[in-house]
Amino acid sequence: MNPEELFYCETHEWVSITDEGGSKTATVGISKFAVDQLTDLVFMELPEPGTEVAAGDEFGEVESVKAVSSLYAPVAGKILEVNHDLPDKLETLSEDPYGAGWIIRLEVSDDSALENLLDYQAYQKQCAEED
Amino acid sequence: MRNRLATQPLFDLSKPGRRGARLPKCDVPVQELEQLLPAWTQATEPPSLPEVTEPEVIRHFTNLSTLNMSVDTHFYPLGSCTMKYNPKRNERLAGTHGIVDLHPYQPEDTIQGMLQLLYELQEMLAEISGLPAVSLQPAAGAHGELTALMVAGAHFRESGEIRTKVLAPDSSHGTNPASARMAGFESVMIKSSDAGFVDMDDLRSKLDEQVAVFMITNPNTLGIFDRQVSEISDLVHKFGGLIYLDGANMNAILGVTRPGDFGADMMHFNPHKTFSGPHGGGGPGAGPICVNEALGAYLPVPVVVEEDGRFRLEYERPRSIGRVRSFFGNVGVLVRAYCYILSHGPDGLRRVAENAVLNANYLLSRVRHILPVPHGQRCMHEFVATASDLKKKAGVTAMDLGKRLLDYGFHAPTVYFPLTVPECLMIEPTETESKETLDAFAETLFRITEEPADLLHETPHSTYTSRPDEVTAARKPQLKWSPTSDSDKTNH
Amino acid sequence: MPYIYNTPQDQQDMLEAIGVSSIEDLFDQIPAEVRLARPLDLAPAHSEMELSQHLAGLAAQNLHTANSVCFLGGGSYDHFVPAVVDAIASRGEFYTSYTPYQPEVSQGNLQVMFEYQTLICQLTGMDVSNASLYDGGNAAAEAVLMAMSATKRTGKVVVPASVHPEYRQILETYLTSLNTELVTVPAEDGATALAALEAAVDEDTACVLVQHPNFFGAVEQTEDIAHIAHQKGALLVVAFDPISLGLLKRPGDCGADIAVAEGQSLGTPMQYGGPYLGIMACREKFVRRLPGRIGGETVDRRGRRCWVLTLQTREQHIRREKATSNICTNQGLFALRAAIYLATLGPQGLRETAELCVQKANYARQQITQLDRFADAFSRPAFKEFVVRDRNNQVGPMLRDAAEQGILAGIPLQKWYPHLSDCFLVTVTEQRTKQQIEALANCLANAQQPTAIHA
Repeated sequence: MNPEELFYCETHEWVSITDEGGSKTATVGISKFAVDQLTDLVFMELPEPGTEVAAGDEFGEVESVKAVSSLYAPVAGKILEVNHDLPDKLETLSEDPYGAGWIIRLEVSDDSALENLLDYQAYQKQCAEED
Repeated sequence: MRNRLATQPLFDLSKPGRRGARLPKCDVPVQELEQLLPAWTQATEPPSLPEVTEPEVIRHFTNLSTLNMSVDTHFYPLGSCTMKYNPKRNERLAGTHGIVDLHPYQPEDTIQGMLQLLYELQEMLAEISGLPAVSLQPAAGAHGELTALMVAGAHFRESGEIRTKVLAPDSSHGTNPASARMAGFESVMIKSSDAGFVDMDDLRSKLDEQVAVFMITNPNTLGIFDRQVSEISDLVHKFGGLIYLDGANMNAILGVTRPGDFGADMMHFNPHKTFSGPHGGGGPGAGPICVNEALGAYLPVPVVVEEDGRFRLEYERPRSIGRVRSFFGNVGVLVRAYCYILSHGPDGLRRVAENAVLNANYLLSRVRHILPVPHGQRCMHEFVATASDLKKKAGVTAMDLGKRLLDYGFHAPTVYFPLTVPECLMIEPTETESKETLDAFAETLFRITEEPADLLHETPHSTYTSRPDEVTAARKPQLKWSPTSDSDKTNH
Repeated sequence: MPYIYNTPQDQQDMLEAIGVSSIEDLFDQIPAEVRLARPLDLAPAHSEMELSQHLAGLAAQNLHTANSVCFLGGGSYDHFVPAVVDAIASRGEFYTSYTPYQPEVSQGNLQVMFEYQTLICQLTGMDVSNASLYDGGNAAAEAVLMAMSATKRTGKVVVPASVHPEYRQILETYLTSLNTELVTVPAEDGATALAALEAAVDEDTACVLVQHPNFFGAVEQTEDIAHIAHQKGALLVVAFDPISLGLLKRPGDCGADIAVAEGQSLGTPMQYGGPYLGIMACREKFVRRLPGRIGGETVDRRGRRCWVLTLQTREQHIRREKATSNICTNQGLFALRAAIYLATLGPQGLRETAELCVQKANYARQQITQLDRFADAFSRPAFKEFVVRDRNNQVGPMLRDAAEQGILAGIPLQKWYPHLSDCFLVTVTEQRTKQQIEALANCLANAQQPTAIHA
């Protein structure tokens, strides 16, 4: 996926929405910036498919040696699919955060939260301030 | 030199048939085991413990001990931990017959001396804290926090108030929010101001009638005394909430000011810090709590009471939260605290605070010229310096500085805490160090900041073990020895 | 002051360097209105000699193991402590160091942690152990909280009445704050009533906590209890006696998901109740929910094997309110003592200690219950403790009489079990001799008769 076409949460998750015949699917991951900030990742906790989440709900965690970062759902929906390969290959998150590093796919039930997300430019600005 | 043979894991030293202890012959008539314990309860083989001799045990552990830095051997300015000298007399006295070998369920008539000691300690802590009701039961500072929050919970339940929140500053110890959660509260963080104090506007905006307790560390984790403390407590009290004082930093204020006098309703002591109970390589501690008169009724059972010169354990306290620890608590640590307080007396305790604060300020006056200390010219018993500029300029981190200090024979300060100061080093010299040691430490720190970054990233150099790979340790946790461990690794 | 270096001249020099004129000035950050305007009201300073004499005076008022014979147990035991334990644990490099935050200069403590964890796994048959908790009671409470988080069930916890009453009291305190129900299942003939247990465990139950051998000293049918718990998706927490594992089947082989213990038996003196050692071990899949410190093996930059604190993201200093527990200090010094003790005893020594306990306890049980006045309260097999019923129902005065003769004969059970007001718990460790046991029986045989009947 092209990072410039994604939407971002202030908490560093990215989301991409595809619309197929009226049913929307969201793919969610975390940004390259966030992965770099966490430095060496050591562990990841993922949800079970089927779990319902509201926008802003915590759905998992990534951990480095001395930090934990919660993962928050950018939009509401039911978790369809979880990238189960990730916990055993955490380097994927830094090598290909916008492709093979995707974390969950959601069947979107409400995408109104999209309005509050940042576009690429705005997100870049936020990262520059945090760094 | 490291004795590599003796410091192999115990399990690599094991050899079938060796043993370190012989037990006496059974002097009562021996019965068939099967008659005493049914076969289904018994293991089919003895536990798979290592088999080593007594001299091996001694050489192994003695050699391991030499791989530690300790207060007995090194300056240990680990901020927030009050690594002061641990008096040897306390060790001896706590280990004497009649103190160390009492069973916790002995009849009260047979332990009057112990009960008197504990009673007097309750009184001493009440006087030092300015809070009259004391429980010696909690096993550590964090356990004291939890116990006090449960006391607060019971108090509010009884008065029919539903209070769900516990507030704590962002600079607080992690135990504060963790204890709040365990006690069934929601934890809410209060911002610190630029000066390092509680941000009063943030506090006001988060105060309401759902707030049960505000937990404050004062002097705080930046080593400064929050002058607003009376105002804070008035404000919290106005909303019906209680003030909890995290007593981790009591060393700074012994005999100078008392939490009960600056508005605290509850607090814990860390006797292993303030009253020199040794830290034991990570414990034991103890966490006695002191609370105001009204909250005394909710303290855990039992407490020691005196009647006509006799001492007894009181269990009949219907409003008590119950019990938080088996038996009476970490008595061995409490005995040492009692000895420490008696060794000092009122003037001596005040001298402790004075010299702890003097040493910290002296060291601050020297370190300030080496590393910025963002929160002020003056500190209490500790201060927090930052390597932020150094990191930007030369890529040298607080961790690098800490690790390099090890090479020069100093234990590192606490690094990366509090979370509110980036690249921080929290330095607490304590009162039991000399000006010469503080000078040497400051000079060494200065020298280190002049050293090339590349060298610092690779420190320590002089220790047998260099920086461990913590990432692998966390990714593929190896938490016990296994026969397949590569025992050759030590021979590199 | 004995521990302060600063001379008046030092103080003067330091004040000058700071730029203030007196120590008092350093305290002006503290508002005057909250300053203490008087000296603390405490006893005056004692010299080491005075302090030693004072403590000797207090100690002299107590009965202790050197001037009496101890048959008390109930979670704190008069087991033998080999001299090597004190010799090593009294090294300043161990007891005056702290949590190994700087692994390069704490390899001693870290390796001990790792060896302790390994020894506990070997002893219990569990997959992983932490580096210790406060005591047995808190380890049990923490295990229950851990089970609640692992099963995501917060409704209910089931505990038989044969579990140490103080452990149950601690649990009650903890669970009250969390609005979780603590269901106590009755004991039957001194052990868990299985049918009642089965009826109490349901789909809301986070775990069953059982003690084996239990508070009454009796063996529990742990494997059946595991089955009952697991059938409903609840976990089994087993509180065990470390010494008993010289003989008894390991918790890991009995279906335990989490095993906890009071580790005082392993080389720590009784010290009137603490500090002790909370042991906790669990199955691999729960490792990230374990509370407390954990040491792990890794390599350093030169490729040498070394040890570090690991999985720290579970802990309060990182995860704050989301931590697995609020615990910070553990009981490092007592984990060290336990490691030395277990290494010294080894498999044979632990087995022989356990055998001595079971032989001597059963001898004492027979000696006492053959007296007309006394009976076995329960019929179950016992390990090192057993409950005796006094047919005269005079437990209090009888135990007082015995104490006056220097025999701490047992623990009255009335305080925790009102229906057992005529019963007391007798404990016999490997240290008790045949002579002492016979003296106990003799003393009980001649104990004060109830005046109401024999007046």
